[in-house]
Amino acid sequence: MGLARKAAAVMTPIHLFNVVSQHNRWLAARQTTIAGNVANANTPGFKALDVQPFEMAMEQARLTMAATKPGHMAGADANAPAPGVRKDETWDVTHTGNSVSLEQELIKAGDVNRAYRLNTSVAKAFHRMILASAKV
Amino acid sequence: MFDPLQASLKIGASGLEAQSRRLRVLSENLANANSTGKTPGADPYARKTISFESELDEALGTSFVKVSGIDRHRSPFRIEHNPGHPAADAKGFVKMPNVDIMVEVTDMREANRSYEANLQVIKQAREMISMTIDLLRSNS
Repeated sequence: MGLARKAAAVMTPIHLFNVVSQHNRWLAARQTTIAGNVANANTPGFKALDVQPFEMAMEQARLTMAATKPGHMAGADANAPAPGVRKDETWDVTHTGNSVSLEQELIKAGDVNRAYRLNTSVAKAFHRMILASAKV
Repeated sequence: MFDPLQASLKIGASGLEAQSRRLRVLSENLANANSTGKTPGADPYARKTISFESELDEALGTSFVKVSGIDRHRSPFRIEHNPGHPAADAKGFVKMPNVDIMVEVTDMREANRSYEANLQVIKQAREMISMTIDLLRSNS
C-alpha cells in the first residue's frame, strides 16, 4: 500500500507519459518539415525549414494559470500548439537559391528517428512497470 | 487535427512523383538525342526542361512539391554538315537536337539521389508510425 503510494508519488509529478507524447508530437512535426525540405530539394528558391527547439515549445506550453474564479481568463492552452517553424541555417545555398542540403536533412531525420525510438521505449518500460503492479 | 507523420508520408510521395516525372523528361531527351526533322531545314527535337515549385497545403501547413511546367530549352541547335540527310538545307547543313548527353546523365544522377532521399524519409516516417503502434503490443 505504502509502496503503491510511493510509486504514484514518483510517477505523477514527472508527467512522464505527458512529456513523452508531447516530445513525440514535436518529433512528428519535425519529421514533417524534414519531409517537406527533402521533397523540395530541387525547387528553385526554396528555403529549408526547421521547427523551434523542443525546450522552447515546452516553455511555452508549461506555464498555465489556475482559475480561482469563473470570471478569470484562461492563459495559454495546456495543449501544446503545433510547433512553430523557423528558417533553418543550412550548410550550403545553391545557385538557384535553394538552401536544402540532403545530407543534413537525412542526419536530422535519423536524429528524429532515434529520439522517437527512445521515447517509445521509455514509455513502454514505464507501461510495463504499471502493468506489473496492476497484475499482482 | 491531422497526423504529422501521415503528412510526411504524403509529402515524401509528392517528392517521389516529382522526381519520377523529371526522370521521364530526361529519358525523353536521351531517347531523342539524335531525332532530326524530316524536311529540309526542319527543326529537330528540342530538349525539354522540367521545373518544380513548392506548394503550401493550407490544411496541413506544410509544403508539397509539384511540377510547375515542362518547357522547351531555348539553346541553339547543333549544326552538322551532312548533305545526304533528308533534313539537310541547301548548303548541306542539318540541325541536330540541343541535347547534351553528359548534362542529361548528370541530371539523372541528381534525380536518382533525390528520389532515394525521399524514399528514406518515407521509410523513417513509417518506422515511427509502427513504433507508436508497437506500444499497444503487450509482452514484447
